[in-house]
Amino acid sequence: MQKNRRVYRFAAFKGAFDMLPLSLAVLPWGVLFGSLAVQRGFTWLESQAFSAIVFGGAVQIVAIELIADNASLFTILFSALVITSRHFLYGLTLRERIKGHSLRWRLSLGFLLTDELFALSGHRRAYKSRLRLYYALGAGGSFYLAWNIWTFIGIVAGASLPDLTELGLDFAIAATFIALVVPSIKSLSVLVTVIVAGVASVTFSIWQLELGLIFSGLLAMLAGYSVNLWERSR
Amino acid sequence: MNFFIIFLLALIIFTSRYLFLEGRLPVRLGANARDFLRFSGPAVLTAICMPIILVKDSELNLALNNPYLGAAIVAIVAAWKTSNIYWTVGLGTVVFILYGSF
Repeated sequence: MQKNRRVYRFAAFKGAFDMLPLSLAVLPWGVLFGSLAVQRGFTWLESQAFSAIVFGGAVQIVAIELIADNASLFTILFSALVITSRHFLYGLTLRERIKGHSLRWRLSLGFLLTDELFALSGHRRAYKSRLRLYYALGAGGSFYLAWNIWTFIGIVAGASLPDLTELGLDFAIAATFIALVVPSIKSLSVLVTVIVAGVASVTFSIWQLELGLIFSGLLAMLAGYSVNLWERSR
Repeated sequence: MNFFIIFLLALIIFTSRYLFLEGRLPVRLGANARDFLRFSGPAVLTAICMPIILVKDSELNLALNNPYLGAAIVAIVAAWKTSNIYWTVGLGTVVFILYGSF
């Protein structure tokens, strides 16, 4: 069936619209990164380049602090690898859906595959049609744009702005993820997954465990998988 | 020198995101692996959002005057009843803002 460009553009806009709460939620962190980078002695171009080509959230903030402290190259790269390790899991999860698409789609969606885009990838038919690919491109691309604009604002005006991270904009992340997770709890195995993930992530966060997110995620997946096996063997 | 590090960081982050999307990578996911990965969405999303709701300055905050908790409970009920992302985010945000104005 031939679909015209208007339909694809609409799908991309829908993606950008669904991403909007998450794009706004990271405003304080983008601004914080931009202003921190300038304070730590990075040029405007370098600071913006972090967001434009690394595009990594927490990784960027940790990296500029480490570079400013004259940490070794190995320390910087290893910390980045630790923080970014969860993305391997996203790639694995979406592998069967994306690996058959053209190189251009794979490269662009791969580059845009943040926590936020992964969150919007749970639909049964996600990435399975051209329309769904454009939806993801709109979602991921708009988030990229937002992150870079927030960084720019931080670079230009950072020193004169108050700390925005206490505003509570991150509640939008919590609300969006709740909206995505709760309706997916249709079996005991998913319920157990969510409970284990909640308890483990909160515990690890209190312990300030660096790898807490990926540990609690894997633990919860193992729990859900086991319950699923047990359910099927009954 | 800074640009060299930025470039290396970009390479690491991009590799972590792209690696398994590459079909020529000799990885075959069996039925068990796929079953296991089916739980990655709810697992990771919950693991990201629960500390936002319940942890403040590395301490558990279960008090009902914690705006994140009150608004999250409303959002959970909204998500359960409506299964609609806009209603859930909208209602949760309204309650979150109301908390701030008291």
